[in-house]
Amino acid sequence: MSRNPFVAADLPPVTLDVDVLVGRYADRPGPTGEPATVTALLAANGIARAAVASLRAALFDVRSGNDEVAALAGPTVLPVGTLDLRDPLGAEREVVRLAGQGVRAVRLFPDEQHVEPDFPSVRHVARRAAEAGLVILAGGDVRRYWRPLRGATVVFLDTHFYHLGDFVVAARDEPGFHTSTRLLNSPDALETIAEHVGVERLLYGSRTPFYEAVVPRLRLARSALGSDAVAAVAGGNARRILGLTE
Amino acid sequence: MIIDVHAHWGPWFFSMEVGAVATNLAVMDRYGIDLAVVSATEAVIYDPTTGNRAMARVLETTDRLLGYLTINPRRLDDAERDLRELLPTGRFVGVKIHTDYTGSPPSSPQTRAALELAAAHDLPALVHTWDRSPLDLAAAVADIPGLRAIAGHMGANGWRHAVEAANSVDRLWLEPCFSHTEAGRFAAVAAAVDPHRLLFGTDATLIDPAAAYGAVLAADLEPELAERVAWRNAADLFRLERA
Repeated sequence: MSRNPFVAADLPPVTLDVDVLVGRYADRPGPTGEPATVTALLAANGIARAAVASLRAALFDVRSGNDEVAALAGPTVLPVGTLDLRDPLGAEREVVRLAGQGVRAVRLFPDEQHVEPDFPSVRHVARRAAEAGLVILAGGDVRRYWRPLRGATVVFLDTHFYHLGDFVVAARDEPGFHTSTRLLNSPDALETIAEHVGVERLLYGSRTPFYEAVVPRLRLARSALGSDAVAAVAGGNARRILGLTE
Repeated sequence: MIIDVHAHWGPWFFSMEVGAVATNLAVMDRYGIDLAVVSATEAVIYDPTTGNRAMARVLETTDRLLGYLTINPRRLDDAERDLRELLPTGRFVGVKIHTDYTGSPPSSPQTRAALELAAAHDLPALVHTWDRSPLDLAAAVADIPGLRAIAGHMGANGWRHAVEAANSVDRLWLEPCFSHTEAGRFAAVAAAVDPHRLLFGTDATLIDPAAAYGAVLAADLEPELAERVAWRNAADLFRLERA
């Protein structure tokens, strides 16, 4: 009698995932990111709530994309605004609009928008967002985007374990720097960051529906972090920096 | 039972402390991995002569690790000597060829010669593949009689090419390790290739097994196929005695 050797009964519940998208990429195969499908995936992966941003906003039209995720607000979805780094003047206006709506975080997509870290737009948009009290969820290579994002409260969403040393030395000088755990999938990456800059800098991110949500959850489950630290990474830290009390 | 067909022993140059054999065993224990086939990082990245010998000494210390003898295709004289001197230990069950670190893609003449050497010794070859290179490896398998090859990372982001490659020849296996765990990647491959050609590999201790294990877990395989992936296909490929 065969049995599946691949089992995981110890996956921690995720109370807030900082990296979820709705919508699609036009330039690659993959899911279409329909909201109902995305929320079903979250439920199937034990993710109670997620900070959700719109690829429509990132790739095509900021305003209608941001309105798309704003309409999803509820127990499962915490809407995240998107700013277009190709249009810093429009981004100025959108920061004001989003802050007025009570949005708590904005997401930057420099890779998708083919923006480089030394473009004036990046520094300017980040400053405006920080001045409005918004947390910045930032794509892009942490080794390059640390510089224009200094002084802000940031979650680097693409930190790969190859670059965790760069994240640590930057984060030592920047108390607002945090990182998603999505690509921190080496045997000691979570533990190394916890040791050097504190477990409060680690936030679970899945990039549902484009990445396997179970991987960072499994890595967290089998880490050397204690149960309180695991709960913090799985949502507590995100709630703290986003100012959520519920 | 789980067999990891793509693992390493030794240090890496990133900000990580994973070089001790105790780390290998601890990481395996995290995921219930019983046996891992490992290559020495020193041999893969820098010098096979010293790395393979260090690997041989480690293999004497535990029965949970078996070895890949690493071949640098640019140093085939060294490879022939290493095979002659180290295969008699009985602890090396395959060869490892890293096409990037040696600047020797699967289509290069020197990697073709290295693969011929592996076939001559009737040893499976784990070959680093990326993007379209599984297709080049499949071409080598088709051309070299008796060669049995594993497309390491199953092409990484080029997994669709790995599917085409595995379906084009009868002696090419795939293993999934990759730090970027695209949703549905392993499930799609498992649905598209001969179930006898699927293996489980992690790239530990560079990558935590969570990446590959989670990818297979997410695929929600039928138990019979899951066992094939976990160990049966590896046991057949490496001709391991079953406990």
